[in-house]
Amino acid sequence: MSLTAFKRALWVYHLNTGSCNGCDIEILAVLTPRYDAERFGIKLVGSPRHADVLLVTGPVVKQMVSRVKRIYEQIPDPKLVMAVGNCGTEGGVFYESYSLAGPIDQIIPVDVYVPGCPPRPEAIIHGVVMAWVKLEKLFKQEVA
Amino acid sequence: MKFILGSGYTFWNPLIWIIVFLVVMVMVYFFRRRGQKGYKKGTDQARIFLCGEEVPEAEQRHIRVGNIYWGFFETLKEYYNFILKPHTGIINDYILWFVVAIAITVIILLIAGLAK
Repeated sequence: MSLTAFKRALWVYHLNTGSCNGCDIEILAVLTPRYDAERFGIKLVGSPRHADVLLVTGPVVKQMVSRVKRIYEQIPDPKLVMAVGNCGTEGGVFYESYSLAGPIDQIIPVDVYVPGCPPRPEAIIHGVVMAWVKLEKLFKQEVA
Repeated sequence: MKFILGSGYTFWNPLIWIIVFLVVMVMVYFFRRRGQKGYKKGTDQARIFLCGEEVPEAEQRHIRVGNIYWGFFETLKEYYNFILKPHTGIINDYILWFVVAIAITVIILLIAGLAK
């Protein structure tokens, strides 16, 4: 695996769509000194307009649908979506709840799934690397 | 031609300012060229980000200067609503208020004078 085309740091926008915060805490753990994802250039940003990857946690409650779509649309191309946690991938403990519109791939296209309740930081980092590899391919396609 | 204007302590040279301006322009052009090219005009990618909320029109987003008095207006709302009704803008009404106020004052003074 080599990263050649995408020469800059990977910026990630984190969106919580109704998560219990378990996944969000693990995402923060990825940034702590123990894992320190920022040394690889993986960084959380405060606006989707600066992001390459949309990292979504939570099962997408009905009130978040328009927000999720709008935030996805605001990310410049090429872009990828990561679903982190069981809730985001298939509903988790909220499966078939009356208040859900999700899981995430029913609202926006998802490229990388990271299952777990919550997933370990290593799994999240692995997911981000998979996203990075896929983004490389998209970037090369756009250049070509 | 001498471009330097000296004041004894400092100086003013338009050539230096023109050079500084050109250097800044080159820097701005350089940074702008390195900017993100993935944005598509006319889509949500080029619109304001407001935490995923729908962004209202510019006229509705702006806060008027008068809003700094919002607290006063809200607190004294009942007083304002009451006091605005007599302010009709018709001079005859104001004269009538004046005459009524004078008449009440005269009556009070007469009663006070008789009571002594």
